[in-house]
Amino acid sequence: MDPIIRMEKITKAYRGVPAIKDVDFELHKGEVHALLGENGAGKSTLTKMMAGVVEPTSGKMFHHGKETVFTNPNEALEAGIAMVFQETSLVPSMTVAQNLYLGSESFLNRLRGTFISAQQFLQSLNFSVDPTALVATLGAAKRQMVEIARAVHHKAEVIIFDEPTATLTPEEKRHFFALIERLKKSGVSIIFISHALEEALQISDRITILRDGELVASDKTENFTRDTVIAAMVGRTLSGELYRDRGESGVRKAGKKVLSVQDISMGAMVRNNSFSVFAGQITGVFGLIGSGRTETFKIISGIYKRDFLRGGTVVLNEKPTRYYVPREAVNDGIVYVTEDRKSEGFFETMSIAENIYAGLIAAGHDKAWYISKNEMSDVAAAWSKKLNIKAINDNARVVELSGGNQQKVVIGKGLVQEPKLVIFDEPTRGVDVGAIAEIHQIINGLADQGLAVVVISSYLPEIMNLSDRILVCRQGRIVEEFSPAEATEEKIMYAAVH
Amino acid sequence: MSFIKNLNQESIVLAITVVMFALASLLLPGFFSANNLVAIVRSVSVLGILALGMAMIIIGRGIDLSMVAIMAMSVACYLQMLNSGMGEGSALVLALAGVLAIGLINGVLVAYADVPAIFVTLASSSFVFGFVRSQLINTDAVPVPSGHWVEILGGMRFMSIPVEVFLFAGLALATFLFLRYSKWGRYVYYAGDNPEAARNSGMPVRPMMVLRYVISALIAFIAGILTASSLHSINTRIVNSNLLYDIVLITVIGGIGLSGGKGGVRNVLFGAALIGIMLNAMTIIDIPLLYQNLIKAGILLGAIIVDGILNPRDEQTAQQGDI
Repeated sequence: MDPIIRMEKITKAYRGVPAIKDVDFELHKGEVHALLGENGAGKSTLTKMMAGVVEPTSGKMFHHGKETVFTNPNEALEAGIAMVFQETSLVPSMTVAQNLYLGSESFLNRLRGTFISAQQFLQSLNFSVDPTALVATLGAAKRQMVEIARAVHHKAEVIIFDEPTATLTPEEKRHFFALIERLKKSGVSIIFISHALEEALQISDRITILRDGELVASDKTENFTRDTVIAAMVGRTLSGELYRDRGESGVRKAGKKVLSVQDISMGAMVRNNSFSVFAGQITGVFGLIGSGRTETFKIISGIYKRDFLRGGTVVLNEKPTRYYVPREAVNDGIVYVTEDRKSEGFFETMSIAENIYAGLIAAGHDKAWYISKNEMSDVAAAWSKKLNIKAINDNARVVELSGGNQQKVVIGKGLVQEPKLVIFDEPTRGVDVGAIAEIHQIINGLADQGLAVVVISSYLPEIMNLSDRILVCRQGRIVEEFSPAEATEEKIMYAAVH
Repeated sequence: MSFIKNLNQESIVLAITVVMFALASLLLPGFFSANNLVAIVRSVSVLGILALGMAMIIIGRGIDLSMVAIMAMSVACYLQMLNSGMGEGSALVLALAGVLAIGLINGVLVAYADVPAIFVTLASSSFVFGFVRSQLINTDAVPVPSGHWVEILGGMRFMSIPVEVFLFAGLALATFLFLRYSKWGRYVYYAGDNPEAARNSGMPVRPMMVLRYVISALIAFIAGILTASSLHSINTRIVNSNLLYDIVLITVIGGIGLSGGKGGVRNVLFGAALIGIMLNAMTIIDIPLLYQNLIKAGILLGAIIVDGILNPRDEQTAQQGDI
């Protein structure tokens, strides 16, 4: 029998840089196929090609043995291939029921009928989501459930889950795995992207491992062990660095207390949050999506335009502060490196030099009222060298760079402001593996220089590798603190979830 | 599509301008004469001055639809106060205070209340027109008092070139220096490219935004004074004319992207040159006003479409971060 999806020597390049190189892939009916790999290995890109989100640069794709190219997600959906995205694609201002039936509403649409059928459908999946609730009011996990329910509702023959369990609690995970079993029994094929190995080994029938866009291994699950999977995923010393164990010796001692936060609150996102940050070390903050980790540090950096529900105190270098615009925070030495560099990090139509120079002239301690092209190119050249920013030419616009280089530009724009406290929010999101190690080196270097550094991340190996102290954030507050010696992935995850 | 992207909008506009100028000079009698050339430059001076203000706003990712209303109504008020016997000083101060107030309100609503600029300025435009016309003046047109400096200004010539040409040149130079070489001028570009990133880096994005609307209101007042000086009166009906579209036309066709962060004074000059030559040529050929408007509307629509193709702002332009 033909496989449902077969890919032959498929390649996808973004502006000449391959994200997927000559990969062969097969998906058979009724199998659960786990797709493993590190950040930036190309897992999402590969599945996006199956779902018609991106088109392959070269190579062939066969659907039921027939050569096909999906040019948009709708074509793929009609062919029975649905994808549940990492970043949710729901409409926040609509109810759960409306989102479930989005695009498949009947011409005359009775709201009550929709609610009832949505209720029955959600119950059949064992999802405790209120169909009349607005999606905007739901937490990350429930949104994920709605996403999953929608894919199931489309009666898809292939469902692609991109990191489905990252935001689920263990209880919800069990329901989710049971659902996958049931879908499998009814003949649905499932592709499951993850970097949680145990889950993959537990529920999949087949495992495919990618590294740096290339296929490393693909075989039945019973032929893998945890160790062989890790070896295939990591496969070289660079990533060995990422997972290295840190003994007591590698931990930096806390310096002066730089930031002390007492009882800050904002709506339901941040609740009576208290913690301190010290100079000369890296404070890792771990939390799931929606745990308030980003929000807490955005309050401290003065980024929110309107938060009327301010409470508590922030003390920076023994001086009580409350920033109402980022400019004040920047002038006092706080730099926040955003998790979303495209929408609030860099200036996309401008060159690397203009981006880095933006940091310099934005800071209040640059007193000149005019700008100087020479100063701009000098500063840019110095920081490009220091951070090893690579571009085809000096005039390259930042959007044309790779994720890693973009992130380095954003970091350079912040560091040029000579901060005392640097907050990195998901510093390696969407960054290629090679650049991850470099960015970690930059972050370590800052702490070694005596700066106070905060690293917010939902990627455990990153937190374990970088932090000298680990804070865990849940439901809007820091709930636990670990030293690197006592921390294990299980302990941290447990604290973040319960 | 790639060959379009490799072409620069500036060079296209410049080429069209040169071709149009050459054709008009060869084919139209009286076009290439000193008097007519001066007339062209003079006619685009006021438009160009307004376009400078509009350009500054658009580069910072905004739009000011109240410029024409501010221009006509502030000057009408000023002249009305003079005509009713008020002293020169107090009339000017009151008029300027009104202009500043409208600019401030526009800016504060856009910057701090996060209301889209297009609605704020559309509303303030109607409000200014309605309030002034109904409460403060009782005729459509307000004449300049005889012997007043505004009237004298309109007759001033240097080397037989009217004074507004010099004013346009001076303002263009000042705007150029501000946008190109001052730190605050660069902030406009950064804020236009990505307001959130600019704010997070510590730039005073919102105060800058207010400042830009105040400057554009002041520029509108200057343009109003020049209009009154050449016509010896100000007609408030101009608010309901196509003038506003001509201003947007000049800025957009010159290559200042409506999505912000791009372009400069040079683009305004190119746009003004092209539109000036085109309007003058159409008048010499004697194309009826209705058809002139039709042609201008077509060009504006075309320019906006080209702008959308050249400066796209969608997900496809930046997929890099997500591998």
